[in-house]
Amino acid sequence: MTEYLVKLRYYPGDPLERIKVGDLKTLEGKYGVKISYEKIENRQLKEGLLMENTLNKKIEEISQEVITVSGNKEKKFSDCIRALYKKYRCPRTVYSLLGSNEAAEKIAKGLMNLYGGW
Amino acid sequence: MKVLALNGSSRKNGNTEILLKQALMGSESEGAQVEILRLTDYKIGPCRGCGLCLFRENVCQVKDDDVSFIFSKISECDGVILGSPCYFLELTAVIKQLIDRCWILGHQIGKIKKPASVIVPYATHGWIPYISVQSNILLNVMGLTKINEAAICTQGISEVVLDQEAMDVAYRMGKEIAVAIREKDLTYQGEDGVCPSCHDWLVRILKDRETVECPTCGVRGKLSMAGGKIRVKFEKKAWADNRFRPDVSYNHFTYHIAPSKDYFLRTKEERKSKIQKYQEYLPG
Repeated sequence: MTEYLVKLRYYPGDPLERIKVGDLKTLEGKYGVKISYEKIENRQLKEGLLMENTLNKKIEEISQEVITVSGNKEKKFSDCIRALYKKYRCPRTVYSLLGSNEAAEKIAKGLMNLYGGW
Repeated sequence: MKVLALNGSSRKNGNTEILLKQALMGSESEGAQVEILRLTDYKIGPCRGCGLCLFRENVCQVKDDDVSFIFSKISECDGVILGSPCYFLELTAVIKQLIDRCWILGHQIGKIKKPASVIVPYATHGWIPYISVQSNILLNVMGLTKINEAAICTQGISEVVLDQEAMDVAYRMGKEIAVAIREKDLTYQGEDGVCPSCHDWLVRILKDRETVECPTCGVRGKLSMAGGKIRVKFEKKAWADNRFRPDVSYNHFTYHIAPSKDYFLRTKEERKSKIQKYQEYLPG
């Protein structure tokens, strides 16, 4: 059985709406997958903007919200990713799936092309 | 007060130059000092995509051209009038070449409060769908605020002088720029388009076939029909996503571009092994 595990890394300004754990729980139940959420916040208010130096930082350490989805049923996993993209829009960089396994990354990338809109 | 005209046409005394000079006469009538640069008289090399301007604090590797001179002229002036002919659906190549070099300006987006206007002579009605895209991008990345734009239908060399209405429009736009500088009022005075931000008429249908966006600003909305007319509704909260807002632009550079250095370094060995066959194939 194939295990799918994807990490969707949303950077500040990426999600179309605020990511709420309650909403993720709803999707988790609906699609029979496991969803976890982690928020990393390293920004500081300067010159009226929340700022951060990200140039020489590790991708995993900069401010971001990471939605991790795992499951073993391709269709349900895929439908869940699609629902997340529809709600929040897809993550937007080449490194925004870092930490995903190969099978899941293939699905998540394919759906980005379909539903990313970019 | 200085008004600078940027001419995207290589033709001397062509319609674009005539219209820009007419506009500058309008600016002068309001007390402005004026200058015109024909962009094709300057060397504007292509962006090499090296990323050094992004990763090494505003250093551009292309040093043997005139782009920094052009940027310094824009920096010194108080308002800009951009002109370009539309030969084939959009503005001329030199405008795009300049846009690509604007990476170096990075975070200036939205920070400089200077007015700008755009004048585009074209020959055939209906053959100008993309003229506002390039001018909007260029003005936005240079930190300028568009206060008006005019597309003027004219064809043969210098024929625009026969069109008094067009000449009046250009003159008025030149005056407007000077007044906008003097009164520090960047209110948009042109025709409203679909997008309340860049005033363009273009919308892009996203692949979900439910959402549309302004392709320039990146703001998303919905299409509907009302009374037989197409309506495009942008939610107020969607404006927070306008890619030319200072905070959105900042996030783009900070989170979409800068961290790619880490990714680039991590994948160095893998790239090295995979790139070899391309280096050996059809070596340039």
